[in-house]
Amino acid sequence: MKEAFIRAKDLYYTYKEEGQEPVSVLRGLSLEIQKGEYVAILGHNGSGKSTFAKLLNMILEPDSGELWVAGRELTSPELTEDDVYALRREVGMVFQNPDNQLVATIVEEDVAFGPENLGVPSAEIRRRVDEALAAVGMSNFAKSEPHRLSGGQKQRVAIAGIIAMMPNCMIFDESTAMLDPVGRREVVETFEKLNRERGITVITITHYMNEAARADRVIVLDEGKVLMDGKPFEVFARAEELVATGLDVPQCTSLVHALRKKGLVIDGEPVTTEECAEMICRALEEHHGKGNA
Amino acid sequence: MSSIALGQYYPVSSPVHRLDARMKVILAILYIVCTFLCKNVLSFAALAFSALVLILLARIPLRVILRAIRPILFIMCFTAVLNLFFVKGENLLFAWWKLQIYVEGLYSAAFMLLRIVVLIMGTSLFLTYTTTPIALTDALESLLAPLRLIRVPVHEFAMMMTIALRFIPLLSEETGKIMNAQKARGVDFAHGGLIKRAKALIPILIPLFVSAFRRAEELATAMECRCYRGGSGRTKMTVPHLHFRDFAALLLVIGFGAGILYLNRLGIGYTMP
Amino acid sequence: MARVTLEHVSYTYEPGTPFAVKALDDVCLTVREGSITGIIGHTGSGKSTMVQLFNGLEKPSEGRILLDGKDIWENPKKMRDIRFRVGLVMQYPEYQLFEETVRADIAFGPRNMGLSEEEISARVAEAAEIVGLTAADLDKSPFDLSGGQKRRAAIAGVMAMRPEVLVLDEPAAGLDPRGRDIILQAVADYGHKTGATVIIVSHSMEDMAVYCDDIVVMAHAKVFLAGSRDEVFAHAEELRSVGLDVPQITHLALLLAARGVRLPKGIYTVEAALRAIENLL
Repeated sequence: MKEAFIRAKDLYYTYKEEGQEPVSVLRGLSLEIQKGEYVAILGHNGSGKSTFAKLLNMILEPDSGELWVAGRELTSPELTEDDVYALRREVGMVFQNPDNQLVATIVEEDVAFGPENLGVPSAEIRRRVDEALAAVGMSNFAKSEPHRLSGGQKQRVAIAGIIAMMPNCMIFDESTAMLDPVGRREVVETFEKLNRERGITVITITHYMNEAARADRVIVLDEGKVLMDGKPFEVFARAEELVATGLDVPQCTSLVHALRKKGLVIDGEPVTTEECAEMICRALEEHHGKGNA
Repeated sequence: MSSIALGQYYPVSSPVHRLDARMKVILAILYIVCTFLCKNVLSFAALAFSALVLILLARIPLRVILRAIRPILFIMCFTAVLNLFFVKGENLLFAWWKLQIYVEGLYSAAFMLLRIVVLIMGTSLFLTYTTTPIALTDALESLLAPLRLIRVPVHEFAMMMTIALRFIPLLSEETGKIMNAQKARGVDFAHGGLIKRAKALIPILIPLFVSAFRRAEELATAMECRCYRGGSGRTKMTVPHLHFRDFAALLLVIGFGAGILYLNRLGIGYTMP
Repeated sequence: MARVTLEHVSYTYEPGTPFAVKALDDVCLTVREGSITGIIGHTGSGKSTMVQLFNGLEKPSEGRILLDGKDIWENPKKMRDIRFRVGLVMQYPEYQLFEETVRADIAFGPRNMGLSEEEISARVAEAAEIVGLTAADLDKSPFDLSGGQKRRAAIAGVMAMRPEVLVLDEPAAGLDPRGRDIILQAVADYGHKTGATVIIVSHSMEDMAVYCDDIVVMAHAKVFLAGSRDEVFAHAEELRSVGLDVPQITHLALLLAARGVRLPKGIYTVEAALRAIENLL
């Protein structure tokens, strides 16, 4: 069997701050993610999803458990500092607030920041920066100042900054939360393209159910553990449980489930709104066909 | 979108703008030395002429330059008055009660005025008007690199400058937002005595600090994620190269300095000590 | 009856310079008394500018803003009184918290109004209850609350001034579904409880469809559509034509209609869609 890109076993993590009650956020989290997957992680605030993301590139270290990422055992005591940096090059992270992750005052300088830190030769950095900006569709803004860009554009610059480090995996830690619908679409389309065309493993943490519905796989965390794990339609079929854990279900999925309860036979599981319309249409035709016959 | 002018960079294309930033720092220093070399009418005339040429070369409008001089107007007047009344000489021009003005004092005041104006103009023209803050930061980092040998954290200082430049517009925008939010809760910044107004700042300053710390923390995490570990082992995307024009400019300024020294020796009119 | 009226309001940023941008262009608008009105539009459609006009943080370049028929700029010296009557919750309001305790922070606005201590504590308690903060939460430092709780504390701080008009700019931005529902429900509760008029600016058509009576759609600095929720969602196709996201269920209804399924116009909730399709069975 192929080695999983990410393998977490029984992870525990507790936030301890002086003078405050320790907050245990991960309580025995176990999961595996394969190379090239497109995974959405859902969970209400405090379910442990952001903490888990921070473990993946060693911004935080688990209290106990086993964590393998990209062939490295992160929980091994023999891990060196160089290993940590090699890991961070491979597993890039895009955060929530676009303003707080851009370092330089010029877009292309910011994209160059990562490769510069890695000690990549100048000419190679130049090539990577141009290529990364093209990949996120921001080539025309190479010389712009970040604070004049829209939120979606800033996040795309942040993504380019990670791509320039040639990662195998990108984690989006609520990267669309502060954006308007247009910005959100820009960012989602960008990372979907990266997943499709370059086989980059994409892990997106989000509150938007419609975004999660587009992924290949949805993992729902609750109380620091995996509550559900499966294809979007499988997960969203468990609507009551989702609502009980503080989440939602996309409206189309809700409707399909409600119609089934009323006795309409709908084949398959819709992902997009178009598919949903198609399926309901077909189901209605068949229903009437049967009625007439 | 807010447009906060950062520094005084004046974005036009000119021969001065195109010079290498490191060279411009050196040129600015040499030019300052030149202003101090001037001693007599001829050399000061040459200095004034060079300043005019520099303005034309840098293609900065005069009103922009005058803006840079405005803040030092007081110092200029003060220096002029001091020189006018306290430089004693042989040729008395005017005397009234205890005040005596000598021709030498007049010259001296004029020279000092010119020196200050050219000093400020020269640094502005070589540096702030024609060089972006970020290029200036990079230039200082590379010029000060030798200080690393005596453990001065040059890279870290430059990084701090860069981040400051990036976050100043953000924080100033944020200040505006917080002020509006507190105004909406009835804070009155415009009225009341000094203490009342100072107190009205607390609801602005605390959120601003909290936000700045949060930003700093998030930025630090983001930088770590992008493999930042200080200056060692770092490369740069753009390695600046010195061009022929940079050396030409250097020769020009050095030649100008030599010219000034020559003019000083001609000994025409009043010569400053 | 009209509570807030915008009469031919225009607003230009950096007027007279080459950077001049017209954020609002001859906008006329009335907000019904006691309604929950949603303002929706793209970033740059002028809605965030509009928010700051309601309580006089910005002055319109042209036109008038009327509160109960009176121009709010009639006496600029009295602007503070206007701000107490028109409460504004800015975007990400949790960043305005500064006091040592949540209680003190919520009391900040009422205290600026010069109310008595009894009145202040009564209002703090009332506002805290509406947003669902407990007495224990009130004694905490605002910085020790969770993200959603901070947001609620900040909103309570404006509610405690008991404004007749409560304006909120993206009150649910960035929250998880439960946090979003708690806040929007609290805002609606405030309106119902006090009879105040509530104006919510949002990107989310889905939230608007649930909570608002009236909806104003802004596009390119102008009012694109305005009316009751039913009227506005009946124009779902036009909304999509200007690139606005209608609720997913509305989009689905449109797609079904395009495929010849006979559905009534203006479907914007799952329940309505379910009922409509059931009728066809």
